[in-house]
Amino acid sequence: MLRRWPLLLLIAWVSVAAAPLAGQIPIDSATPTRDPRFEATVREVASSLRCPVCQNNSVEDSPSLLAQDMKKEIRARLAAGETPDQVRKYFVSRYGEWVLTKPTAGGFNLSIWLLPFVALLAGALVVWVAVRRWVRQGDAPRPAAASGEATPGDGATLRARKAALQASLQDLEAEFAAGRLDARDLALLTERDQTELNAVNEALRNVKKESTKPAARASQPVSGFGRWSARLGWAVALGAFALVLVLSLRGSVAARSEGGVITGSQTASAAPVEMELQQTGPLDSLRIAQLEARIRRDSTDVPALIELGHIYLAQGMLQKAWLVDTLAIRLQPDAPSSAEAFVHIGMILWSQGETDGGLKAIDKALYLRPELPEALLYRGIIYFAGLQDMRAAAQIFEHYLAVAPPDANTARVRAMLNAARQAGAGK
Amino acid sequence: MKWQRWAIPASALPVLVLLGWGLTRDARTVPSPLPGKAAPDFRLQTLKGDSLSLTSLKGQAVLVNFWASWCLACRAEHQVLLSAAKRYSDQGLKIVGVVYEDSRDNARAWIAERGGDWPNVLDVGSRTAIEYGLFGVPETFFVGRDGRILYKQIGPLDSAVIERWVPKLLATGGSAASADTFAEGRSAGHVPTRRP
Repeated sequence: MLRRWPLLLLIAWVSVAAAPLAGQIPIDSATPTRDPRFEATVREVASSLRCPVCQNNSVEDSPSLLAQDMKKEIRARLAAGETPDQVRKYFVSRYGEWVLTKPTAGGFNLSIWLLPFVALLAGALVVWVAVRRWVRQGDAPRPAAASGEATPGDGATLRARKAALQASLQDLEAEFAAGRLDARDLALLTERDQTELNAVNEALRNVKKESTKPAARASQPVSGFGRWSARLGWAVALGAFALVLVLSLRGSVAARSEGGVITGSQTASAAPVEMELQQTGPLDSLRIAQLEARIRRDSTDVPALIELGHIYLAQGMLQKAWLVDTLAIRLQPDAPSSAEAFVHIGMILWSQGETDGGLKAIDKALYLRPELPEALLYRGIIYFAGLQDMRAAAQIFEHYLAVAPPDANTARVRAMLNAARQAGAGK
Repeated sequence: MKWQRWAIPASALPVLVLLGWGLTRDARTVPSPLPGKAAPDFRLQTLKGDSLSLTSLKGQAVLVNFWASWCLACRAEHQVLLSAAKRYSDQGLKIVGVVYEDSRDNARAWIAERGGDWPNVLDVGSRTAIEYGLFGVPETFFVGRDGRILYKQIGPLDSAVIERWVPKLLATGGSAASADTFAEGRSAGHVPTRRP
């Protein structure tokens, strides 16, 4: 092994040395250059471009073939002397603005850049207005009593205080009459209570005046008309919002169609398997036992193998079905009787996500028996639910209905045919 | 202070309008800048080994169809292309397949199995795919006689698309006509003239 090293080195050296000589090979190729600054620029441009075949991935981050080829193109263009902006411009000219991971700041796009700042400013404005209002409320002259004892908030507390003062004045009179209070004290206490009562009365008048004034202060609840117009505004806005939502999400909000799935327009791929399972009868296990006994006696009994495959498949025993059907096919690969086995194989493949292989197997079945209803049915289902090629599906279902004897499947196929025609026409 | 009562509903209105506009759009459609512009030229090797350039087809209506043998949707589309070729080739429609991210052998086997006598070129390194702003296969560009892209189909062609766009494509003017010329509805049978 070690002895081969010189040879390998020679080959490597020759290929490196010859690369610039070959005029056809641009310097850009997949191998990165050694200049770290150049590579950084390549990476910068690649991460500013979106990979077209990915979901939310940049050309730099995507492992896809196309992204790698795009990176080569970026490298080649930069190496040819283009600026990063020129390279980006080239890709925009091919893919549109979409290709930029960061939208350009211009035209309508400007709103994306400006709206956050607008929102920030609006929020600051709201806070400023609110704080100013609170401060103004705190500074507002209080209709409080001169004694400073009462800080009357609203009419109710003022009225309660008024009642208490009146009661106190009456008490003082009673105490004096009973001889428990001398005239000097009575005069002093009466004057104190009377002064406060006057202040409370004044404050009460102020409160009444303000509540009758329309929208006197911002902190006061707005008057009848203002309140109703504001409510109307909110109702209109909410109604418009609901309308927009309903109109735009109409497809998702609409009632699910017969056989439809929760994802709306997508067709159910689980349908065919369910259909198979529904066809099982109570006698199937007995029949399975009989057929298995036949195969144990003669493992080349192709009709038994195929019938068994059919029942296994109908019961969802995919592995067993696969086993007997492949055995049948191996025994008689090109006999028309194997066509059914190919159909089963096709269905199993498709149910495992191998649409391509499934179609191939069913094509083979139709090659062996061109009008085998089962093959047409499943081919139609794969086009309908798998490839979602409604036109082809409709044609195949029509063919099926023309050749198949009416049975339990006929109604289902009719339904699928209608759905396929509608979807095809809607395209 | 009356304006405050209207401030919130009024500021909600532009948001609603934007929301209504945005939600009624299909987020998956990406507007392509290419239709109306000159189709990017390419010179590539065909599956048979000779070289083919788009310039050599100038003056003719061409469908530039990107496909790959690993592409499932391309199978169904191939039938559409076959019938389009059958129906429109005597009126001058040319088809050029561009094989995308695929090997020569796979592409050859695919064509051998499914038929089609139009040339298919190999786009090694996807340079042409990038030139055409390809998102994936299948994608088809309807290139008019004037060398401009009339229409771009993302996803498989179907007969409705063919019937809608191929007659318009065949009616495109031979000389450096503007995109508006198509609206004049020239007869499909007029003799194409080559651009100097």
